[in-house]
Amino acid sequence: MEEEKLEKLLKELPGRMAEPVRPGLAGDVKRRIPQQLRVHRSRMDTISIMIDLRISRLAAAAVIIITTIFCANFFGLRGSTGGDIVEAIEYSLAGENVGRSEILTNMAVMYEGLLKEGKDVVYYGDSIDPEDKFAVLMHWKLPNDRYRVIFNDLRIMTVSPDVLIMLQAQMHQDRMQK
Amino acid sequence: MAKKAKFTEQAVELAHLINVQQNPDRNHENQEIRQDLLASRLRSGDRAAASELVDLYYRQIYLYMRRLGHNHHVSEDLTQESFLRAWYHIGQLQNGRALKGWLYRIAGNASRFYWRRHKGKKAISIEGFDVPVSSTADSDKAGDNEQLERLENAIARLPMKMRQAVVLHYLQNLTIVEAAEAAGVRKGTFKSRLSRALKVLREDII
Repeated sequence: MEEEKLEKLLKELPGRMAEPVRPGLAGDVKRRIPQQLRVHRSRMDTISIMIDLRISRLAAAAVIIITTIFCANFFGLRGSTGGDIVEAIEYSLAGENVGRSEILTNMAVMYEGLLKEGKDVVYYGDSIDPEDKFAVLMHWKLPNDRYRVIFNDLRIMTVSPDVLIMLQAQMHQDRMQK
Repeated sequence: MAKKAKFTEQAVELAHLINVQQNPDRNHENQEIRQDLLASRLRSGDRAAASELVDLYYRQIYLYMRRLGHNHHVSEDLTQESFLRAWYHIGQLQNGRALKGWLYRIAGNASRFYWRRHKGKKAISIEGFDVPVSSTADSDKAGDNEQLERLENAIARLPMKMRQAVVLHYLQNLTIVEAAEAAGVRKGTFKSRLSRALKVLREDII
Protein backbone atom coordinates (compact mmCIF):
# COMPACT_ATOMS: atom_id res chain seq x y z
CA MET A 1 0.00 0.00 0.00
CA GLU A 2 1.20 3.50 -0.80
CA GLU A 3 2.50 5.64 2.02
CA GLU A 4 0.06 8.49 1.33
CA LYS A 5 -2.93 6.16 1.26
CA LEU A 6 -1.90 4.63 4.57
CA GLU A 7 -1.49 8.10 6.13
CA LYS A 8 -4.95 9.05 4.86
CA LEU A 9 -6.51 5.92 6.34
CA LEU A 10 -4.69 6.45 9.64
CA LYS A 11 -6.12 9.96 9.85
CA GLU A 12 -9.64 8.57 9.41
CA LEU A 13 -9.15 5.85 11.99
CA PRO A 14 -9.59 7.88 15.23
CA GLY A 15 -13.24 8.54 14.31
CA ARG A 16 -13.81 4.86 13.71
CA MET A 17 -11.98 3.63 16.80
CA ALA A 18 -13.91 5.90 19.16
CA GLU A 19 -17.03 5.62 21.23
CA PRO A 20 -18.92 7.74 23.73
CA VAL A 21 -17.42 7.56 27.20
CA ARG A 22 -19.81 6.67 30.02
CA PRO A 23 -20.86 10.05 31.48
CA GLY A 24 -20.44 8.85 35.08
CA LEU A 25 -16.80 7.86 34.59
CA ALA A 26 -15.38 11.30 35.42
CA GLY A 27 -17.48 11.38 38.61
CA ASP A 28 -16.28 7.89 39.58
CA VAL A 29 -12.66 8.94 39.16
CA LYS A 30 -13.19 12.20 41.06
CA ARG A 31 -14.80 10.37 43.98
CA ARG A 32 -11.49 8.56 44.42
CA ILE A 33 -9.50 11.78 44.87
CA PRO A 34 -8.17 11.48 48.42
CA GLN A 35 -9.61 13.99 50.91
CA GLN A 36 -6.12 15.20 51.64
CA LEU A 37 -4.09 14.84 48.52
CA ARG A 38 -0.77 13.81 49.99
CA VAL A 39 1.89 13.96 47.38
CA HIS A 40 4.80 11.56 47.39
CA ARG A 41 7.59 14.04 46.76
CA SER A 42 10.90 13.02 45.33
CA ARG A 43 12.68 16.17 46.44
CA MET A 44 15.64 16.22 48.76
CA ASP A 45 14.02 17.88 51.76
CA THR A 46 14.13 16.16 55.17
CA ILE A 47 10.55 14.87 55.18
CA SER A 48 10.79 13.51 51.63
CA ILE A 49 13.97 11.64 52.49
CA MET A 50 12.21 10.11 55.52
CA ILE A 51 9.27 9.05 53.33
CA ASP A 52 11.63 7.60 50.73
CA LEU A 53 13.32 5.60 53.48
CA ARG A 54 9.87 4.11 54.25
CA ILE A 55 9.96 5.34 57.87
CA SER A 56 6.51 5.89 59.36
CA ARG A 57 5.26 9.49 59.55
CA LEU A 58 5.19 9.38 63.34
CA ALA A 59 8.76 8.11 63.55
CA ALA A 60 9.86 10.70 60.98
CA ALA A 61 8.20 13.50 62.96
CA ALA A 62 9.83 12.25 66.18
CA VAL A 63 13.27 12.18 64.52
CA ILE A 64 12.82 15.73 63.22
CA ILE A 65 11.66 17.06 66.62
CA ILE A 66 14.48 15.34 68.54
CA THR A 67 17.06 16.56 66.01
CA THR A 68 15.71 20.11 66.16
CA ILE A 69 15.80 20.16 69.99
CA PHE A 70 19.27 18.63 70.00
CA CYS A 71 20.56 21.23 67.55
CA ALA A 72 18.92 24.06 69.50
CA ASN A 73 20.57 22.88 72.71
CA PHE A 74 23.89 22.35 71.01
CA PHE A 75 23.96 25.86 69.54
CA GLY A 76 22.69 27.40 72.77
CA LEU A 77 19.37 28.76 71.53
CA ARG A 78 17.05 29.89 74.32
CA GLY A 79 14.18 27.69 75.55
CA SER A 80 14.96 24.43 73.83
CA THR A 81 11.50 23.14 74.70
CA GLY A 82 9.93 26.58 74.68
CA GLY A 83 7.80 28.53 72.22
CA ASP A 84 10.45 29.33 69.60
CA ILE A 85 11.36 25.73 68.95
CA VAL A 86 7.75 24.55 68.94
CA GLU A 87 6.89 27.31 66.51
CA ALA A 88 9.75 26.34 64.27
CA ILE A 89 8.64 22.70 64.28
CA GLU A 90 5.02 23.63 63.63
CA TYR A 91 6.14 25.81 60.77
CA SER A 92 8.24 23.04 59.24
CA LEU A 93 5.40 20.51 59.42
CA ALA A 94 2.47 22.83 58.67
CA GLY A 95 0.34 22.04 55.65
CA GLU A 96 -1.50 25.37 55.53
CA ASN A 97 -0.73 27.73 52.68
CA VAL A 98 1.73 25.26 51.24
CA GLY A 99 -0.24 25.28 48.00
CA ARG A 100 -0.01 29.01 47.55
CA SER A 101 3.64 29.23 48.57
CA GLU A 102 4.61 26.42 46.20
CA ILE A 103 2.79 28.10 43.35
CA LEU A 104 4.61 31.35 44.14
CA THR A 105 7.91 29.47 44.23
CA ASN A 106 7.20 27.94 40.83
CA MET A 107 6.19 31.33 39.48
CA ALA A 108 9.42 32.79 40.82
CA VAL A 109 11.38 30.09 38.96
CA MET A 110 9.41 30.89 35.82
CA TYR A 111 10.14 34.61 36.36
CA GLU A 112 13.87 33.91 36.60
CA GLY A 113 13.67 31.83 33.40
CA LEU A 114 11.86 34.59 31.49
CA LEU A 115 14.39 37.15 32.74
CA LYS A 116 17.23 34.97 31.47
CA GLU A 117 15.48 34.81 28.10
CA GLY A 118 15.65 38.60 28.07
CA LYS A 119 11.86 39.06 28.39
CA ASP A 120 10.44 42.30 29.75
CA VAL A 121 8.75 40.59 32.70
CA VAL A 122 7.09 41.87 35.87
CA TYR A 123 6.25 39.54 38.78
CA TYR A 124 4.07 40.77 41.64
CA GLY A 125 4.59 37.70 43.86
CA ASP A 126 2.97 37.70 47.27
CA SER A 127 2.35 41.47 47.19
CA ILE A 128 -1.09 40.85 45.68
CA ASP A 129 -4.25 39.86 47.49
CA PRO A 130 -4.57 36.01 47.35
CA GLU A 131 -8.38 36.36 47.32
CA ASP A 132 -8.51 38.61 44.25
CA LYS A 133 -8.69 36.23 41.29
CA PHE A 134 -8.38 39.04 38.74
CA ALA A 135 -5.16 40.43 40.20
CA VAL A 136 -2.19 40.14 37.87
CA LEU A 137 0.46 37.78 39.19
CA MET A 138 2.92 38.18 36.34
CA HIS A 139 3.09 39.75 32.91
CA TRP A 140 5.61 40.04 30.14
CA LYS A 141 5.79 41.84 26.84
CA LEU A 142 5.42 39.97 23.56
CA PRO A 143 7.16 40.93 20.30
CA ASN A 144 3.83 42.22 18.89
CA ASP A 145 3.57 44.87 21.66
CA ARG A 146 0.87 42.91 23.49
CA TYR A 147 1.27 41.40 26.95
CA ARG A 148 0.99 37.83 28.19
CA VAL A 149 -0.68 37.95 31.60
CA ILE A 150 -0.98 35.28 34.31
CA PHE A 151 -3.77 36.08 36.74
CA ASN A 152 -4.00 35.16 40.40
CA ASP A 153 -6.33 32.25 39.57
CA LEU A 154 -3.62 31.06 37.13
CA ARG A 155 -5.55 31.90 34.00
CA ILE A 156 -3.30 32.98 31.15
CA MET A 157 -4.17 35.34 28.35
CA THR A 158 -2.71 37.87 25.97
CA VAL A 159 -4.01 41.40 26.43
CA SER A 160 -3.49 44.76 24.78
CA PRO A 161 -1.47 47.45 26.62
CA ASP A 162 -4.75 49.30 27.34
CA VAL A 163 -6.29 46.31 29.11
CA LEU A 164 -3.07 45.77 31.08
CA ILE A 165 -3.07 49.41 32.20
CA MET A 166 -6.70 49.03 33.27
CA LEU A 167 -5.91 45.87 35.25
CA GLN A 168 -2.94 47.53 36.94
CA ALA A 169 -5.03 50.61 37.79
CA GLN A 170 -7.68 48.34 39.31
CA MET A 171 -5.04 46.55 41.41
CA HIS A 172 -3.59 49.88 42.53
CA GLN A 173 -7.02 51.23 43.52
CA ASP A 174 -7.85 48.07 45.46
CA ARG A 175 -4.55 48.32 47.31
CA MET A 176 -5.12 51.99 48.17
CA GLN A 177 -8.60 51.20 49.51
CA LYS A 178 -7.18 48.60 51.84
CA MET B 1 -17.06 47.60 44.10
CA ALA B 2 -19.11 44.70 42.70
CA LYS B 3 -19.79 46.74 39.55
CA LYS B 4 -16.06 47.36 39.16
CA ALA B 5 -15.25 43.68 39.58
CA LYS B 6 -17.90 42.79 36.98
CA PHE B 7 -16.42 45.33 34.58
CA THR B 8 -12.92 43.87 35.05
CA GLU B 9 -14.30 40.37 34.53
CA GLN B 10 -15.95 41.43 31.26
CA ALA B 11 -12.74 43.13 30.07
CA VAL B 12 -10.74 39.99 30.85
CA GLU B 13 -13.23 37.74 29.03
CA LEU B 14 -13.18 40.07 26.03
CA ALA B 15 -9.39 40.04 25.98
CA HIS B 16 -9.52 36.26 26.15
CA LEU B 17 -11.85 36.06 23.14
CA ILE B 18 -9.63 38.38 21.11
CA ASN B 19 -6.63 36.34 22.20
CA VAL B 20 -8.14 33.05 20.99
CA GLN B 21 -9.22 34.53 17.67
CA GLN B 22 -6.01 36.37 16.88
CA ASN B 23 -3.38 33.96 18.17
CA PRO B 24 -4.40 30.38 17.34
CA ASP B 25 -0.72 29.46 16.92
CA ARG B 26 -0.11 30.35 20.57
CA ASN B 27 -2.55 27.69 21.71
CA HIS B 28 0.15 25.04 22.02
CA GLU B 29 2.37 27.30 24.11
CA ASN B 30 -0.63 28.30 26.23
CA GLN B 31 -1.47 24.64 26.72
CA GLU B 32 2.06 23.93 27.93
CA ILE B 33 2.01 26.81 30.41
CA ARG B 34 -1.39 25.65 31.66
CA GLN B 35 -0.05 22.13 32.12
CA ASP B 36 2.94 23.50 34.01
CA LEU B 37 0.70 25.47 36.35
CA LEU B 38 -1.68 22.54 36.78
CA ALA B 39 1.29 20.34 37.68
CA SER B 40 2.42 22.94 40.26
CA ARG B 41 -1.03 22.94 41.84
CA LEU B 42 -1.10 19.14 41.90
CA ARG B 43 2.31 19.03 43.53
CA SER B 44 1.03 21.36 46.24
CA GLY B 45 -1.85 18.95 46.99
CA ASP B 46 -4.66 21.01 45.45
CA ARG B 47 -7.78 18.78 45.12
CA ALA B 48 -9.41 21.13 42.63
CA ALA B 49 -6.40 20.64 40.37
CA ALA B 50 -6.83 16.86 40.66
CA SER B 51 -10.42 17.29 39.55
CA GLU B 52 -9.35 19.49 36.61
CA LEU B 53 -6.85 16.85 35.56
CA VAL B 54 -9.68 14.31 35.38
CA ASP B 55 -11.91 16.64 33.33
CA LEU B 56 -9.09 17.32 30.90
CA TYR B 57 -7.93 13.79 30.27
CA TYR B 58 -10.40 11.08 31.33
CA ARG B 59 -11.91 10.70 27.84
CA GLN B 60 -8.47 10.51 26.21
CA ILE B 61 -7.15 7.97 28.69
CA TYR B 62 -10.27 5.81 28.43
CA LEU B 63 -10.06 5.76 24.61
CA TYR B 64 -6.33 5.08 24.82
CA MET B 65 -7.08 1.96 26.87
CA ARG B 66 -9.80 0.88 24.44
CA ARG B 67 -7.47 1.41 21.48
CA LEU B 68 -4.79 -0.64 23.20
CA GLY B 69 -7.29 -3.50 23.16
CA HIS B 70 -8.95 -3.52 26.60
CA ASN B 71 -12.71 -4.03 26.95
CA HIS B 72 -15.11 -1.42 28.39
CA HIS B 73 -14.88 -2.50 32.01
CA VAL B 74 -11.13 -2.98 32.09
CA SER B 75 -10.63 0.35 30.31
CA GLU B 76 -12.68 2.14 32.94
CA ASP B 77 -10.80 0.42 35.77
CA LEU B 78 -7.43 1.21 34.21
CA THR B 79 -8.46 4.84 33.65
CA GLN B 80 -9.23 5.18 37.34
CA GLU B 81 -6.01 3.42 38.27
CA SER B 82 -3.99 5.74 36.02
CA PHE B 83 -5.33 8.85 37.74
CA LEU B 84 -4.73 7.39 41.19
CA ARG B 85 -1.13 6.64 40.27
CA ALA B 86 -0.73 10.11 38.77
CA TRP B 87 -1.90 11.81 41.96
CA TYR B 88 0.39 9.68 44.06
CA HIS B 89 3.47 10.13 41.88
CA ILE B 90 2.99 13.76 40.80
CA GLY B 91 6.05 14.71 42.88
CA GLN B 92 8.19 12.73 40.45
CA LEU B 93 7.18 14.82 37.46
CA GLN B 94 10.23 16.99 36.74
CA ASN B 95 8.89 19.10 33.89
CA GLY B 96 5.29 20.26 34.39
CA ARG B 97 4.96 21.05 30.68
CA ALA B 98 5.26 17.32 29.94
CA LEU B 99 2.21 16.54 32.10
CA LYS B 100 0.18 15.09 29.23
CA GLY B 101 2.93 12.74 28.01
CA TRP B 102 3.67 11.74 31.60
CA LEU B 103 0.01 10.88 32.28
CA TYR B 104 -0.07 8.77 29.10
CA ARG B 105 3.08 7.03 30.28
CA ILE B 106 1.40 6.10 33.56
CA ALA B 107 -1.64 4.87 31.62
CA GLY B 108 0.61 2.83 29.32
CA ASN B 109 2.32 1.25 32.32
CA ALA B 110 -1.06 0.46 33.91
CA SER B 111 -2.08 -1.28 30.68
CA ARG B 112 1.22 -3.19 30.49
CA PHE B 113 0.90 -4.38 34.11
CA TYR B 114 -2.64 -5.50 33.38
CA TRP B 115 -1.53 -7.66 30.44
CA ARG B 116 1.28 -9.06 32.58
CA ARG B 117 -1.16 -9.99 35.35
CA HIS B 118 -3.53 -11.61 32.88
CA LYS B 119 -1.02 -13.39 30.66
CA GLY B 120 -3.33 -16.27 29.85
CA LYS B 121 -6.06 -14.02 28.45
CA LYS B 122 -6.40 -13.09 24.82
CA ALA B 123 -4.20 -10.08 24.16
CA ILE B 124 -6.73 -8.14 22.16
CA SER B 125 -10.29 -7.40 23.10
CA ILE B 126 -12.86 -8.77 20.68
CA GLU B 127 -15.27 -6.10 21.86
CA GLY B 128 -15.75 -3.60 19.04
CA PHE B 129 -16.23 0.14 19.38
CA ASP B 130 -19.71 1.55 19.84
CA VAL B 131 -19.41 3.85 16.85
CA PRO B 132 -22.38 6.20 16.46
CA VAL B 133 -24.66 5.20 13.51
CA SER B 134 -24.18 8.50 11.65
CA SER B 135 -20.39 8.20 11.54
CA THR B 136 -20.51 4.64 10.20
CA ALA B 137 -22.87 5.84 7.49
CA ASP B 138 -20.53 8.72 6.61
CA SER B 139 -17.50 6.54 6.25
CA ASP B 140 -19.35 3.94 4.25
CA LYS B 141 -17.87 5.08 0.92
CA ALA B 142 -16.33 3.11 -1.95
CA GLY B 143 -14.59 0.36 -0.05
CA ASP B 144 -12.90 2.75 2.41
CA ASN B 145 -14.75 1.08 5.21
CA GLU B 146 -13.30 -2.29 4.31
CA GLN B 147 -9.78 -0.86 4.14
CA LEU B 148 -10.26 0.84 7.48
CA GLU B 149 -11.41 -2.42 8.99
CA ARG B 150 -8.36 -4.20 7.62
CA LEU B 151 -6.12 -1.46 9.00
CA GLU B 152 -7.81 -1.69 12.40
CA ASN B 153 -7.19 -5.46 12.47
CA ALA B 154 -3.61 -5.00 11.30
CA ILE B 155 -2.94 -2.53 14.13
CA ALA B 156 -4.40 -5.04 16.60
CA ARG B 157 -1.94 -7.67 15.30
CA LEU B 158 1.11 -5.43 15.76
CA PRO B 159 3.53 -6.21 18.60
CA MET B 160 2.62 -4.17 21.69
CA LYS B 161 5.34 -1.50 21.41
CA MET B 162 4.62 -0.80 17.76
CA ARG B 163 0.88 -0.76 18.36
CA GLN B 164 1.37 1.68 21.21
CA ALA B 165 3.43 3.96 18.94
CA VAL B 166 0.72 4.01 16.24
CA VAL B 167 -2.06 4.53 18.77
CA LEU B 168 -0.26 7.38 20.56
CA HIS B 169 0.69 9.32 17.45
CA TYR B 170 -2.13 8.65 15.00
CA LEU B 171 -5.14 7.81 17.16
CA GLN B 172 -4.49 9.90 20.26
CA ASN B 173 -3.00 12.73 18.16
CA LEU B 174 0.04 13.23 20.37
CA THR B 175 3.03 15.03 18.90
CA ILE B 176 6.21 12.99 18.40
CA VAL B 177 7.73 14.60 21.53
CA GLU B 178 4.65 13.88 23.67
CA ALA B 179 4.29 10.37 22.29
CA ALA B 180 7.99 9.61 22.93
CA GLU B 181 7.54 10.83 26.52
CA ALA B 182 4.43 8.67 26.81
CA ALA B 183 6.26 5.62 25.49
CA GLY B 184 9.21 6.36 27.80
CA VAL B 185 11.78 6.43 24.99
CA ARG B 186 13.87 9.03 23.19
CA LYS B 187 12.41 10.92 20.23
CA GLY B 188 14.66 9.10 17.73
CA THR B 189 13.78 5.68 19.13
CA PHE B 190 10.09 6.50 18.93
CA LYS B 191 10.39 7.70 15.34
CA SER B 192 12.14 4.52 14.24
CA ARG B 193 9.60 2.39 16.13
CA LEU B 194 6.79 4.25 14.40
CA SER B 195 8.34 3.89 10.96
CA ARG B 196 8.84 0.15 11.51
CA ALA B 197 5.20 -0.13 12.54
CA LEU B 198 4.07 1.72 9.40
CA LYS B 199 6.21 -0.58 7.25
CA VAL B 200 4.57 -3.63 8.83
CA LEU B 201 1.12 -2.12 8.33
CA ARG B 202 1.84 -1.31 4.67
CA GLU B 203 2.91 -4.88 4.03
CA ASP B 204 0.05 -6.32 6.03
CA ILE B 205 -2.82 -4.59 4.26
CA ILE B 206 -1.70 -4.76 0.63
